[in-house]
Amino acid sequence: MKHATITTVRSARRLTEMEFAGWVGAAAPGDRLEYHRGFLAVDIVPVISNLPEPERAALKALGARAWWAAEQRLVHLVQERLGPGLFAYIAIARPKPKHAEVSLASLLVDAEAA
Amino acid sequence: MQRQISEPDLVTILDEADAAAARLRRRLGLPRADLDDLRQDLLLDLIRRLPAFDARRGSIGAFAGIVSRNQASRIATRVARERRATGGRLLSLDAPAGDGTTLGDRLGETDSLSAWHGHCVALDAVIDARIDLARALGALHPRDRSLCAAATQCPVRALAARGLGSRATLYRRLRDLRCALAAHGGRAA
Repeated sequence: MKHATITTVRSARRLTEMEFAGWVGAAAPGDRLEYHRGFLAVDIVPVISNLPEPERAALKALGARAWWAAEQRLVHLVQERLGPGLFAYIAIARPKPKHAEVSLASLLVDAEAA
Repeated sequence: MQRQISEPDLVTILDEADAAAARLRRRLGLPRADLDDLRQDLLLDLIRRLPAFDARRGSIGAFAGIVSRNQASRIATRVARERRATGGRLLSLDAPAGDGTTLGDRLGETDSLSAWHGHCVALDAVIDARIDLARALGALHPRDRSLCAAATQCPVRALAARGLGSRATLYRRLRDLRCALAAHGGRAA
């Protein structure tokens, strides 16, 4: 029996919140992205995090955006234990949820009418 | 004073314009399809300068010949300048390209001048982007959609003045909106 190969993409540098959102928007169902490697719960907390403050804040925003994407049913969030206190945080793209389409033109007309 | 032009004079003018256009086309090595354009340019210039014609100084044919020659010289200079700017000769879209087609028939949207200048010219890509945006807008909260519509028309300062929130709040909301739109498949234009 053949098994499909699962490939997880991992960025060479830390992703920004916007880059993560862009990946979510462009990803096909089943695509996997490792958006952080470490111990997220510790890495985002001031004082105990080893990261410089700007990086810590960016990671906190990235984690929040990943959580938001999961709440929007855009991704599944999973973590893989790599060792003691070391995890790979992985987002797996889901099929895009269906929403009623709203054209920008109709929005602008409504805004004019209001 | 407006001078009435007689029929023989008109025929002379048209003949001069025809001859000058044919000479110019040959001199510049332009395709036959450009002949009508050249003739029109020459004729328009001739008609515009006709009030300056003085019958005491010469015939209408001589006048038309001089005016056409001067205008032909200006057109030749313009064509040479365009060729220098584009690194070669300009081809008319009406130029025959074989099999009964014209050059315009054979050029795709991606070969157009707009494409050279980096504009988006692929119609299907524009439609895809519009559908993606409509889907992404559909996924937003109605409050955020109205902010999107407002932000396309006013700067943040004006939005703040309209009571939609402080500038800091608006910038934060717009940053969130960008991420949300991107995550729902909306691409930057």
